[in-house]
Amino acid sequence: MKSKIVLALLATTLAAGAHAQVKVEDAIKWRQSAYATMGWSMSRIKANIDGTYNKDDVAKAANVIQAIANSGMGALYVPGSDKGKGWADTRVKPALFTDGPKVGKIAGDFNAAANELAKVAASGDAAAVKDAFGKLGGTCKACHDDYRTKQ
Amino acid sequence: MNSKKRILVWDLPTRLFHWLLVAAVVGLVVTGKVGGNLIDWHGKIGLLVLGLVVFRLVWGIVGSTYARFCQFFPTPAKIATYLKGGWQAPGHNPLGAFSVFALLGVLIFQLLTGLVANDDIAFVGPLYDLVGRDLSNLATGWHRLSVDVLIALIVLHLAAIMFYAHVKKDNLVKPMVRGWKEVDQGEPARGGGALALVVALVIALAAVFAASGVWLPEPPPPPAAVETPSW
Repeated sequence: MKSKIVLALLATTLAAGAHAQVKVEDAIKWRQSAYATMGWSMSRIKANIDGTYNKDDVAKAANVIQAIANSGMGALYVPGSDKGKGWADTRVKPALFTDGPKVGKIAGDFNAAANELAKVAASGDAAAVKDAFGKLGGTCKACHDDYRTKQ
Repeated sequence: MNSKKRILVWDLPTRLFHWLLVAAVVGLVVTGKVGGNLIDWHGKIGLLVLGLVVFRLVWGIVGSTYARFCQFFPTPAKIATYLKGGWQAPGHNPLGAFSVFALLGVLIFQLLTGLVANDDIAFVGPLYDLVGRDLSNLATGWHRLSVDVLIALIVLHLAAIMFYAHVKKDNLVKPMVRGWKEVDQGEPARGGGALALVVALVIALAAVFAASGVWLPEPPPPPAAVETPSW
């Protein structure tokens, strides 16, 4: 009986630990860092599409985007992080926190596009990469258009 | 007793400018809104529009009669005549002139901000390197906001044409296609000869070259000795 209580307590503590509240400032910093890193990767792929195509370089960059896309970044959109400063003031619109299904759709499209890009990047098919890259950029834009302040 | 006479109102370069601009602006709005790989085309068409607008600015000085800015600039005297209903002259009336200057003004604003804009994905305007990231972000914000002003002006422009066609029974589209119009009074357009055309084209091409940023110094080629770590 006693051990069961301890176990239950332990489980509760662990569960709480796993969902430990991320500090707003950290959450915004991590978000911005993740987007900046994806920005680096997008520029890198673009340079390969426009210039000399290096399969390995593109695959590395596409894998980074895929990893971040599938990292569950939604966890960084903690309550209260619609405003605040990370490395700079966040530009997220409060609507992102209230438009649940619509945001979920955009995030899902983004994940799918990132997965597709990583897949074709591994194959080294430059034309397919260009196509997948454009589609991924479109999903970035979908969120920028609706959920990021214009200035 | 038809005393109407047929006069040239819009010279050929003005008409070509107008219709190319229509096509290009439609292209810009579509590519800008859709994004993805089309954003590269947005940049290219933007340079085309820059060339067209610069051409029109020069043509507004050296072009033929009714293309000239000073001919249709809405002075207080002209506005007064127009408001009293006494406006008869061919060419842009004072209200239309406001529309022309507003459209050109917003287009120029879009061109200047677009040249240094970035989409935070993988596209930057050709002169992005001339300004910092912060200024580019600011310009991008304006670029995205003022496109709505441009669209509103175009809708107003189209509404005015519809109003003229259906209420005032004056088809404004035909003269912009054919160049001539049947009028009671007014002189045909003069000037804007071959030399003026060459001058305007050369200046427009020079502007496109300047805006394309191809003259910007290339980033120094990485010397073979400086290699980044392989990890």
